[in-house]
Amino acid sequence: MTVRAHLIALGIVALTLTALALGYHNAFILNLVFAGLIFAVLGQSWNWISGYAGQISFGHALFFGCGAYASALFAARHGSPWLALPAGAAVAAILALLVGFPCFALRGHYFSIATIAVAAIAEIAATNLAALGKANGFEMPILAPGIATLQFSDKGHYVLVALALFVFAQLATLGLERSRLGFYLRAIRLNQEAAASVGVDARAAKLTTYAACGALAALAGSLYAQQALYVGPEDTLGLPISIAIALVGVVGGLSTVWGPALGALVYVALARYGGALLGGQGHGLDLLLYGGLILVIVSWRPDGLAGIGRSIRRALERREARAAP
Amino acid sequence: MDVGPLPQLVVSGILTGLLFALISVGLTLIFGVMDVVNFAHGEFLMLAMYATFGATLIGINPILAVPVVAIVMFFLGAVVYRVLIRRLLAGPPSAVVFGTFGLLVFLQGAAQYLFTSDYRSIPNLPFQGTLHFGAVNLGEAQLVAGLGALLMTALVFAFVEYTEPGRALRALSEDRVAAQLMGIDVQGMNALAFGLGIACVGAAGALLMLTYQAYPRIGTEFALTAFVVVALGGFGSVQGALVGALLVGLVEVLGGFYISPALKMIPVYLLYLLVVLVRPQGLLGRR
Repeated sequence: MTVRAHLIALGIVALTLTALALGYHNAFILNLVFAGLIFAVLGQSWNWISGYAGQISFGHALFFGCGAYASALFAARHGSPWLALPAGAAVAAILALLVGFPCFALRGHYFSIATIAVAAIAEIAATNLAALGKANGFEMPILAPGIATLQFSDKGHYVLVALALFVFAQLATLGLERSRLGFYLRAIRLNQEAAASVGVDARAAKLTTYAACGALAALAGSLYAQQALYVGPEDTLGLPISIAIALVGVVGGLSTVWGPALGALVYVALARYGGALLGGQGHGLDLLLYGGLILVIVSWRPDGLAGIGRSIRRALERREARAAP
Repeated sequence: MDVGPLPQLVVSGILTGLLFALISVGLTLIFGVMDVVNFAHGEFLMLAMYATFGATLIGINPILAVPVVAIVMFFLGAVVYRVLIRRLLAGPPSAVVFGTFGLLVFLQGAAQYLFTSDYRSIPNLPFQGTLHFGAVNLGEAQLVAGLGALLMTALVFAFVEYTEPGRALRALSEDRVAAQLMGIDVQGMNALAFGLGIACVGAAGALLMLTYQAYPRIGTEFALTAFVVVALGGFGSVQGALVGALLVGLVEVLGGFYISPALKMIPVYLLYLLVVLVRPQGLLGRR
């Protein structure tokens, strides 16, 4: 896709969702759209480090939780969520640097397991530290709704805020794909030694990206907390969240601009909406369907939904070429 | 000198470690032969626990259930290899990771749907007594589970070390192309390794039913520890998995006692991070 095509697609998505947010008042559907946008942003953040740079992380909930806890802590002390957003993002970026600096020396699965270990330590810490609300987490105070408190009585407004972050993440990814850093990352994924031999500073490139990932995921976490008004260790730092983020990133297709959004759509449609229709979560049918779909996709097209999309587009192009005289 | 509860903790840690060892040997065997990290490993443990529970419901003795469940899980593993893993190996490396994650979500969902989230334990549990060795008190069930795991681990080790198919497995993990040139049937051996790996975790699940309860999410808990054990020992190294499992068992039990039960996993994760930062290939892994 050309940049123009990407921007047109993004414009269409943004306009449709804005219309939906302002004109449609079904709270259940709007909450699903909100969750979809948050997961699309989280998947995109994961895609930067694990897709483009090829460093598979299973601990992305660490950054999501960082943002969520920042919002909760600021709210508990009557601070503005507008300060919580940059604060959470900054802490997440610093954490990413602290984790990445030693761990990027590890390759392959050793790195992935290290990310699990770090996120698990954070979850245990949050479950046991009084300052972080222990296992109960935080109930956030309900404030006067409005843009200043980032709390809204209209669910559609949450969608608009998440949509703004989603548009930002998509634009940033488009920029990344075309930047020097983007080329570095793909070179590192394909062959780190070869990349280093032509002067790519692999560690610096990975660290920069990881810090940006952390900040983006934290912003998503802050918005999630503002909407859920509750933050707990399992819901924000747990391994299932990390796995959900990674699956969203891969179902749609790794290292593609729209892959995470597609993955989030499938995740929300099947695991959340499907689960609710089939008698609520907790019965396992939602997971059964979602897991089954992943198995079908991955054994049919290992490169995800975006790969299937590519095949369809190619087939159409071939047909057009044949139809042309 | 009074050593307090230390001997008790060490014995308890070793017995826990032996169960981790059996789970981890299965994981590392699969990795060594076909470069696959089976993220659904814990879910096979969960399935084996439910299978053991079912077997005891129809009146099979829980100890007799261990080999039965292990054999059933062997065939299940071989079928999963043929149907799923083989396809994934043809794709990019990420396909295997996400295929096995998909399997994890699928099996967990299936268990939750079919068996509900209730905790299940074997009715009329055997081995309820306690043995006394000086200052050390041991639950009989814990001792039987630990020794059973040791026996199974030794059997698998002997198979890999001293039999013809075992030699073929080792050849594959050392140099796949050369092994293939020597006429080793890669697909057949991969299926054997996957089956064996799942049989190990199956036997571990059956033994765990002596001291634990089955529920749909129990797999994740144990699998997480098994990943740390395998990576700590070095991916693909059976001896490494053994050393790693005993270390993790000891650190977990000692940490749980001297620090706090709620924080017992923190020293385990820190141990992993420390070891791989000094030796990025794990304790006994190859670069």
